[in-house]
Amino acid sequence: MIKFLSSIKLTISLLILIIVLSVIGTLIPQGETPGFYRHYSPGWSGIILGLQFDHLYRSPLFLSLAFLFLLNILFCSSQKLPAKFRQVRGQNEFNQVEGQSGSDKKFVTGFSDWLGFEPDSLAAGLKQKRYRVKIEEASGQKTLLAQKGRLGLFGPEIVHLALVIIIIGGLISALFSQRISLALSEGQTAELPGKNFSVRLDRFTTDYYPDGSVKGWQSLVSIIEQGRVKKQKTVEVNRPLKYGGLNFFQMSYGFDWDQTQVELEIKGTDLAASNLRLRAGEKVQIGPGLTLSLITFIPDFELDEEGQPASRSAEANNPAALVQVTREGQSVYRGWLFYYQPDLNRIQSQPDFNLEINLKKFEAPVFSGLEAAGDPGMNFVWSGSILLFLGLLACFYAGYRQLAIRVQPAGKPVLVARCRHNQAAFYQELEELLGQRPVGRINSARKK
Amino acid sequence: MNEFPLLLISFVIYLLVMLTGFASFFGSKTKWTRISYWLAMASLIVQLASLLVRTMVSGHAPFTNMYESINFLSWSCALVVIIFQRTFKLEKAWPYLWLIIVALMALVSSPILPKNVTPLVPALQSYWLWLHVSVTLLGEAFLAVAFVASLLYLTAGRDSAGKLESQKRQEKYDLIAYRAVAAGFPLFTLGALVFGMIWASRAWGRYWSWDPKEVWSLITWLFYALYLHTRLVMGWKGKRSALIAIIGFLAALFTFFGVNYLLSGLHSYV
Repeated sequence: MIKFLSSIKLTISLLILIIVLSVIGTLIPQGETPGFYRHYSPGWSGIILGLQFDHLYRSPLFLSLAFLFLLNILFCSSQKLPAKFRQVRGQNEFNQVEGQSGSDKKFVTGFSDWLGFEPDSLAAGLKQKRYRVKIEEASGQKTLLAQKGRLGLFGPEIVHLALVIIIIGGLISALFSQRISLALSEGQTAELPGKNFSVRLDRFTTDYYPDGSVKGWQSLVSIIEQGRVKKQKTVEVNRPLKYGGLNFFQMSYGFDWDQTQVELEIKGTDLAASNLRLRAGEKVQIGPGLTLSLITFIPDFELDEEGQPASRSAEANNPAALVQVTREGQSVYRGWLFYYQPDLNRIQSQPDFNLEINLKKFEAPVFSGLEAAGDPGMNFVWSGSILLFLGLLACFYAGYRQLAIRVQPAGKPVLVARCRHNQAAFYQELEELLGQRPVGRINSARKK
Repeated sequence: MNEFPLLLISFVIYLLVMLTGFASFFGSKTKWTRISYWLAMASLIVQLASLLVRTMVSGHAPFTNMYESINFLSWSCALVVIIFQRTFKLEKAWPYLWLIIVALMALVSSPILPKNVTPLVPALQSYWLWLHVSVTLLGEAFLAVAFVASLLYLTAGRDSAGKLESQKRQEKYDLIAYRAVAAGFPLFTLGALVFGMIWASRAWGRYWSWDPKEVWSLITWLFYALYLHTRLVMGWKGKRSALIAIIGFLAALFTFFGVNYLLSGLHSYV
């Protein structure tokens, strides 16, 4: 089991599977209702909903792969660490059997011409080239161990640790993050569930560019705790407010269409033309026994999949008002008035009474769309990210080099040299240090 | 005052860079290579000027829509190719690499991409715009070099030169591809993923929303992680490695273009 979990083949398979699933998640619209999938792709909707691909990145399949990936990273790195620690302590230099990571180029070599120098004399030269030098004596043999760029040896482990931290941060976010959407009109206060403070919008302004497009929104917001204003700040896009473990973001703005005030123009054979202002739920008398009430207002009228009136968006692209006319308490007409297409107003064609009603104006109070978010996983992700980048630099640019020389009373001295990158430059450096080019073959020891 | 004349001049010079580079295959190699190199330096400076003028005229970073971003990307590619020429002596690879830059410049100069200066929408008004986009595009410039080097590796076999020479050349392409990924991958990680996450958390309150652009940049990242693991741990080199580098770059292209035009989300800044 451990062998399976720490194998590189598992890593490759997981990378491929995660890639494939991720691609699928961008092709299937995420987060829609089951009716949506049944409507737009009836053949596939069973599989999509069954595998929970409507929220693929939280589906059991995806999460299991991510979890396996986490285990693979942990097991793989912990397998390799002991050997690397031994290497850094110079404990496997003179053994012929070991496994090293793939890109280490180990030279097992000797000297073509033993110049008779003591390891100590080399130490100064090595130190100048920024090597850390250690000399040991044991039973008549002297061993010199010189290394630099040791961080580079552990580069992959640092990267993998960083990934583990990031994945854990992601899991914490998935489980513990909070997002509260707030739509506040000026002067309105909102309670925050689970918190002992509330937030009030004091002022909301919109800035425009000369060409009319939106430059920015500013919400002047007060945090109220125990009846007192603890903090007041302007929240803008890219400039959130931080308080009590939550960050408040300016996300959008909108119109409170439920509070729309419409202006209707009423004309009739026995009525003088007049303009009336109404809000939803209000009614007004327009003639003897005749009352008109506004039932509701939709900013972007359309008929949905079931043929019911709904709003396609929150923009006033196709405003429509639903009105009802009653005579002596009995409903005589109920229908929609369209702002842009008054000829569709069917009230015009009612035989019972001659009334013409048109939707002339509409106005809704504006609200600021704020979002309060708290995410305890974020700090993990930030620390993991910094570590990830530094680890990658260590992997590719730290230039680990190791040189070990053992001088024994009998027999030739042995030199073992190892580096992670740029063999050619290492050869050159050794030549400068030793006064000769080391002779030997390159053993690209690779983990099988 | 606009930057377009400067951009066109640099386009023409890049074309000359490529042509003189190919001329070195037939005529005097050292002469044409040197001319090509200095023309490249000149064009790099002219295009840099176009980027600066655009910044001054628009009042914001020169990479907020497709036109501006591709201009910056082609400049980054030119920079990377010149750096690689100085460290590796690209030889036959040099003019082929400029082919990609010429193609990008053709796209930038064409009417397909709207060039008008538009003021920044609120979400883009942040200094993270500078860091996130520039570092990402610079990383992608390195990955583009790896892409071309990998393509050259796969097509290098059929050459009139001797077998040993073409084998050495193939090995060189393989090495260039690897070194390009070794530079591009950390930059892409930092720019696209890390800076992207930091900015998202400042603008939208969430560092990751599984938005198609975010997912595709993750997919690109996973492809290059695959490249590095198969190469460094399993010892895959040559053909298989080249294929992964090529597919990875196609994923990067989809992340850059495909997502904006074919999928929709928070990120569609066309």
